[in-house]
Amino acid sequence: MTGWVLIVDDEEMIRENLKAYLEDEGLGVVAFESVTPALNWLRDAAAACRVCIMDMRLPDMDGNSAIRLFHQLYPHMEFLIHTGSSSYTLPEDLRAAGLEEDRVYRKPLEDMAPLVGAIRMLAALREVRP
Amino acid sequence: MPKLGRLFQPLYLASPPRIRPDRPLFQRLAEWGALLLVIGLSAFEVSGAETRGIGHGSVGPQPVGEGMGCAGWVLGLVVPLLVALFWCWLLYRQMARRTQQLQRELSERRRVEMALRESEARFRDVTEATSDWVWEMDENLCFTYLSKRFYVLTGISPQSVLGRARWELAGVDVTIDPHKWRVHRELLEKHLPFRDFTYQTHLTGNRKDGRYLKVNGKPIHDSQGRFRGYRGTGSDITEQVNVEVALHQSELRLRRIIDLVPHMIFARDRYGRFLLANRTTAAAYGRTVEELVNRSPRTIHAVEEEVERMLADDQEVIQSWTSKLIPEETFTDSAGHVRTLQTMKIPFIEPGLNETAVLSVAIDMTEQKRAKEEVARMRLYLKNIIDSMPSVLIGVDPWGYITVLNQPAEHASGLSWAAAQGRFFGEVFPQLENQFGQVRQVIREGHPIKTPRMTLETDGELHYADVMVYPLMADNANGAVIRMDDVTARVRIESMMVQTEKMLSVGGLAAGMAHEINNPLGAILQGSQNVLRRIGPDLPQNRAVADALNIDLNLLNRYLQERGVLRFLEGIREAGARAAKIVADMLSFSRRSESRFAPVGLEEMLETVLRLAASDYDLKKKYDFKRISILRDYDPALQVVYCDKTEIEQVILNLLKNAAQAMTEVNTLTPAITLRTLREPDNVLIEVIDNGPGMDDKTLKRIFEPFFTTKEVGAGTGLGLSVSYFIVTDQHNGRLSATSKPGQGSCFSIRLPLVGDALS
Repeated sequence: MTGWVLIVDDEEMIRENLKAYLEDEGLGVVAFESVTPALNWLRDAAAACRVCIMDMRLPDMDGNSAIRLFHQLYPHMEFLIHTGSSSYTLPEDLRAAGLEEDRVYRKPLEDMAPLVGAIRMLAALREVRP
Repeated sequence: MPKLGRLFQPLYLASPPRIRPDRPLFQRLAEWGALLLVIGLSAFEVSGAETRGIGHGSVGPQPVGEGMGCAGWVLGLVVPLLVALFWCWLLYRQMARRTQQLQRELSERRRVEMALRESEARFRDVTEATSDWVWEMDENLCFTYLSKRFYVLTGISPQSVLGRARWELAGVDVTIDPHKWRVHRELLEKHLPFRDFTYQTHLTGNRKDGRYLKVNGKPIHDSQGRFRGYRGTGSDITEQVNVEVALHQSELRLRRIIDLVPHMIFARDRYGRFLLANRTTAAAYGRTVEELVNRSPRTIHAVEEEVERMLADDQEVIQSWTSKLIPEETFTDSAGHVRTLQTMKIPFIEPGLNETAVLSVAIDMTEQKRAKEEVARMRLYLKNIIDSMPSVLIGVDPWGYITVLNQPAEHASGLSWAAAQGRFFGEVFPQLENQFGQVRQVIREGHPIKTPRMTLETDGELHYADVMVYPLMADNANGAVIRMDDVTARVRIESMMVQTEKMLSVGGLAAGMAHEINNPLGAILQGSQNVLRRIGPDLPQNRAVADALNIDLNLLNRYLQERGVLRFLEGIREAGARAAKIVADMLSFSRRSESRFAPVGLEEMLETVLRLAASDYDLKKKYDFKRISILRDYDPALQVVYCDKTEIEQVILNLLKNAAQAMTEVNTLTPAITLRTLREPDNVLIEVIDNGPGMDDKTLKRIFEPFFTTKEVGAGTGLGLSVSYFIVTDQHNGRLSATSKPGQGSCFSIRLPLVGDALS
């Protein structure tokens, strides 16, 4: 099992479409429009959540800070970045936390299949590395 | 009587020469009578003396005694008679002897006298007949005698001469040249002879003022050797002097004239010696005229070839007896300056030598030649200036007829200046025919008229030209010049720059709103994908929901297909994808920081791009990239290039896509793309060469313009190459160029500056 996939995105249709596709792929998905409810949900379900898809521009906190926070609280979690910003570059400290350029997905995604591939791979990684 | 005459002849002959035989007869008779009386008295006295007893044969007269007797008287009468007779006889004998002697002497005298008279007459004749005269001076050096000739010749009257000294006759001359006169006077005072003393008389009131006289003189001494004066001859040499003076003046004048002439005038004999040379000639040889004369240029001229050539010319003129004009010859003067002379050589007979000689007149053409050359050089230089001007220049007269074309104008018209001259400019340059009105206006008003960016059509192609018509400024040159600059390329670049600027601002704008656009685009694209997936019959979740709702998914699918819903959905997806692509391309126009620049392994990068191309959705689906053979021509000297890797990858990928697309469109039989790298002195060259359909010039000129596309509508954004151009030129400070010919493929060249350790 891959556990829950956490989606944080303020754009409802993006959130819904991702959720729909991933669910069709048989993945368990929870989606929030901002960081705070996601943190609330994680307090109980963090152990069952392996992968988080994080938007950058969010109403209550920017994506980078959220990743730092989540990573600090729940080091077992892996992150994928899904951003609409053209000028986004990966901060150095996130690279240090194991994020690479290939974890960055730019909107609009024509095909969500690669994203699914990445999620499965990261979940499998967590399986091996408890 | 004759006897008596004979008897007394010796007496008068012995008398002083003043008593002449031709004196009157009565005078002679009286003399004779006196003589007889003397003789009678003498006889009487002799007889008296003898009576007194003194009887001896003495001849001398005796004193008469006072007392005589009768006998004595008789005796005294007879004896004295006898004595007288005896005396007479004696006397007679004595006289006869004497007479004979005298007669001999007389005849001798007469002969001498005759000779003297003849000589005198001859002398007089000669004196009077010749131009010379005779003069005499006394011991005080004053004239005592001058023959008539002197007066006739000089017109001086005797009273103004006789009794005066010579220096008094030549007062003025004496003051003019006192030394000459002092010497002369000293000579005379020393009583020495002199010859050919020349002086000038200046007697006041003399009609022949200023006669030149030449005198010779010799002192006279009497038998005792005492100085008695001078005697000599004189002649009038005024004419001779005047002729000499005139000759001298004439020669001086000629000399002065030839010296004044600024050309070289000289004459040489057949041996090459100078007979004559003017000052200019002498100066050219660095000599004085005197130094030049009688010398050959061989001895004074440094340049041997010149000497030999000049003398050979002289010889030719002498031998042929014809003048020769040498239009140009070189002559190195004494200062070493090479001059150009134009020389005329004329043969003539030298009067002194009676031989042919050559008169030469040489005109220094150096300055003229230099001026001429300067003019020619200047003309060439000016022509060069107008020819080198990149603008088309057409000079026209007020009627529009061509006077001048520069080289670009010749090139533009296809006509040479000579061929176009005199033709109406509108005929030679039909595209400018409408400018004739401007030509006239410009000449009338004197102000230039500019027409920027005039559109011209040449060979069916559109050109832009800046045309300027301006009037000619020179005083008499009425006309105008039409200047035309082809600014087509500049206009294109400008318009491209304008476009690029526009794109940059669009890029900036796009970057700002990309997030806002990308989210809805994401919704569209992801939504389309989900819709398509969820209406399909394959997904188990779909089937579960369909079963629960009692819907036949296969039927539904058929319905959606038949109503075109699926195609519409696919259209939405594609449209969304294209919009996303445009936004991405526009974002490429925004300037980025150099922080992304890094040394990149060139070959590695190219291989990555080739892999990307092979896996590219479009290339895979539409253009069949695998059919294209890829040729690699990598320069081993190149290892690393300093660039923004993703950007350059994007550029190369774009070029590969374009090539593949072009080759697919025309179904190139053996499509091939060559990737070539080459190290240039300052650049890294990356070339993408295909063997596709190529492009014509018109297309080639516009391919980098934004939104210019050869692809059918919808196939491309029209931004690909302009983005590439922007990335290479603007962001990498490199160059992107293309060469192509229809049917011969295309070659795109990316040049990136070679930085630092690109070779290592």
